[in-house]
Amino acid sequence: MVEKAVSRRREKPNPVKAHMDALLAAVSRALRKPMTLMYPDVEEQHPPGYRGIIVYNYDKCIGCSLCARICPPRAIKMHRVPGDKKIRPGYDMGRCIFCGYCVDICPTEALSYSWVHDKAFYRIEEMVFDPIDWAKYSRQVLEEQKRRESRHNRVRVVIDEEVGLRYEPAHS
Amino acid sequence: MVFELLLEKILIPPVLAPLIYPGLGVALATVLIILWLERKLTARVQMRIGPYYVARRLHGAIQLLADGTRFFFQEVIVPARVDVIPFLLAPALALAAIAAAFTVIPGGPGLQGFYTPYSLLVALAALAVSPLLLVLMGWASNNKFAIIGSAREALLNASYEPLLFTTALAMAILYGTLDLNQMVAYQADLGIIGLILNPLAAILFFIAMVAATDRIPFDIVMGEQEIVHGPFTEYTGIGYGLVMALDYIKLYALAMMYSIIFLGGWLPATTPLLAAIVLYVKTFIVMTVAVFLRTVYGRLRLDTALNILWSKLIPLALVSVALSTVVSYTLGW
Repeated sequence: MVEKAVSRRREKPNPVKAHMDALLAAVSRALRKPMTLMYPDVEEQHPPGYRGIIVYNYDKCIGCSLCARICPPRAIKMHRVPGDKKIRPGYDMGRCIFCGYCVDICPTEALSYSWVHDKAFYRIEEMVFDPIDWAKYSRQVLEEQKRRESRHNRVRVVIDEEVGLRYEPAHS
Repeated sequence: MVFELLLEKILIPPVLAPLIYPGLGVALATVLIILWLERKLTARVQMRIGPYYVARRLHGAIQLLADGTRFFFQEVIVPARVDVIPFLLAPALALAAIAAAFTVIPGGPGLQGFYTPYSLLVALAALAVSPLLLVLMGWASNNKFAIIGSAREALLNASYEPLLFTTALAMAILYGTLDLNQMVAYQADLGIIGLILNPLAAILFFIAMVAATDRIPFDIVMGEQEIVHGPFTEYTGIGYGLVMALDYIKLYALAMMYSIIFLGGWLPATTPLLAAIVLYVKTFIVMTVAVFLRTVYGRLRLDTALNILWSKLIPLALVSVALSTVVSYTLGW
């Protein structure tokens, strides 16, 4: 091995053998199992602390506006809600970079992570939530999360020497 | 009465053979399946799933039917500065030229459009017309990508046709006939298939077949990363569906000829129905091998391809002709 590297001269491969090797390699690859995650049917189990959509608990919030101050892309802005003395955070999901600073800094744990990240919107304006909408949307997201957790289609990713990636049923 | 007369006139091998089997009907169905299989095999080699969501239970087997339906209902756009009549006629004429080959290729004993002692030559000649229409397509499209694709097709065509015809000539010398039916008969008499009698010609014919149908590594004409879709760039809707199927139908015709010449045709079966099935299975396997090359090779450059074809493979084809002469002399034909 080392001697070959020193000589720096590549041996010219036998063309017939090289073509046969390439074809056989492709055939042996074709016989292996694919490592695709069949995503909507099967879901990957997320690790604890996975930073998905930020959910907001209206009742725990004390209106300190620390989240709005720390938010790097200014996705959270404080709003005045009619009939409420406190100011409340509103959320622009289009701006959010899911850094989780707001969750870390929140003194009453009114903000927390969900692991749901696959949400779609028809228009860009729909991604902007005022405080009450955000609280309602958060409840929906948490319900969906609970529903999806109970579907028994969750898998764990295992790194496999042979295939690369393998998926095992997760034990919740 | 009229209906029965019509049935008598229509349900006869000379009409059914070019239209249904081995002709257009089965050819189109095969195109749908082989395209799906090609995508599926490529996906498996790359450890993906491939087409899956159209008919999940069949693992997406009718994906191409869905694509074809989409092409069928898509708007056909004829660009402003194309030469309209050749632009619209060329795909249909190319299909007609390839379909003409099905009139002489036997799909089983006696299952052919018309009998001619020169069926190998007629089939190859009919298939050799379609590249001219590809050039016409590119010329009529008035598009730089299309014209580059056409020029490449013209250059490549001048290189793979000699190889195809020389290897076919080698086998014709070996069997002493230009009739595809007779070739199968000789293989049956001898008990040895053409692949063993002249392996060199078999390999070269296969390579020429891959080059003639624009499969990777010879997909220089289409060259999707370089020239959008070669001569087919300006086609939309049903026209695009047609030109995309052209190469596969041509591959089907050539693969069927390959199985007849080199793999013993419909042997070991002798009854018409079983013979047709055996020949079709052989054809399908040859096609699968031809499209499987996509997973291994990259595209050759035009000059590399011409270099390989002219300076390596065509001399080898002449050697295969010599080999055929020697073999046929030894066998005493």
